Amino acid sequence: MSLKSKFMHFLDTASRSKLMVWACWLGLLGLALMSWSLFDQGWIPIMMAMSVGQGIGTLSFALFLVIVIIDLRQAEFRPSVPNPPPKPEDD
Amino acid sequence: MHASPLSWIAFACAVVAAVIMVYYLVRRPPLDAAGKSVMMLGVGVLPIMVAMIGNMEGLAATERQGFCGSCHTMDMWIEDANDVESESLAAIHSRTHKFGGSSCYYCHKDYGMFGYAMTKIGGMNHVYEFLSEWMWYDSDEVIEKIHIVRPFKNENCMQCHSTTGSIWNSAQDHIGLLDDLRTGETSCVSAGCHGYAHPFSKPDEETPSDTEAHTALQVPSPEGT
Repeated sequence: MSLKSKFMHFLDTASRSKLMVWACWLGLLGLALMSWSLFDQGWIPIMMAMSVGQGIGTLSFALFLVIVIIDLRQAEFRPSVPNPPPKPEDD
Repeated sequence: MHASPLSWIAFACAVVAAVIMVYYLVRRPPLDAAGKSVMMLGVGVLPIMVAMIGNMEGLAATERQGFCGSCHTMDMWIEDANDVESESLAAIHSRTHKFGGSSCYYCHKDYGMFGYAMTKIGGMNHVYEFLSEWMWYDSDEVIEKIHIVRPFKNENCMQCHSTTGSIWNSAQDHIGLLDDLRTGETSCVSAGCHGYAHPFSKPDEETPSDTEAHTALQVPSPEGT
């Protein structure tokens, strides 16, 4: 199975709520690291915030985008403008 | 603890984002259009704002003396720079309001076209060196082994002391060595001139006496340098 088909299979079977839970836990961890550096500006907090913290935060946002992609794949798109009424047939 | 108003704004964003995420974890609201809009705010927009402000504040913090001194290997250098009795070049420059708490950065930064990025890359190298070797040494060992990675450039001194001012040119030694100083052949911080910037770290090498160093640096106004 190729990487693309694995990803498609994941999109078809993944639970949106579980993904959101992971996104929230990762987001909280990333926010904690980034907030730490705002008040303690030694080299460890700053390096942690600008590398690990932002990496975890990006992963959290990426999981949220996966949820959006899953929804878009399952959505049924309908035209926003109604179809014009059929022209009367020529007699 | 240093916290600018911008830091407090970032913290407020972080708190709001955290409340949204905790609310989802506790209540599990449906992920319909409204729910996703709120989560977009909590997982996307607000954390991105925190990250952006964190980057700005973090990069600004890397220029401060406190950041350089947050590794124990730099303790003695910071102590000397902040010693009001010290006559070392580092201490004299740290006492000027133009450098203040950022004297390490202003004297050691790269002033080239990509200087800011190169200085940060150099800082990353310091972090690597510290984690791989220097963090295991105590202060006595550090002072015997540590050395600047490459000779200090006169260009850094010349960012302020342009070598064109009348007072600077009134010193005979400056006139005689003008070309050498501008090309870096003779270092401003050599033993025969103004002495090492951190003389305590080179106890076995010749440095000018405190009085000589002080006399050489008595400059009435910055305009003449």
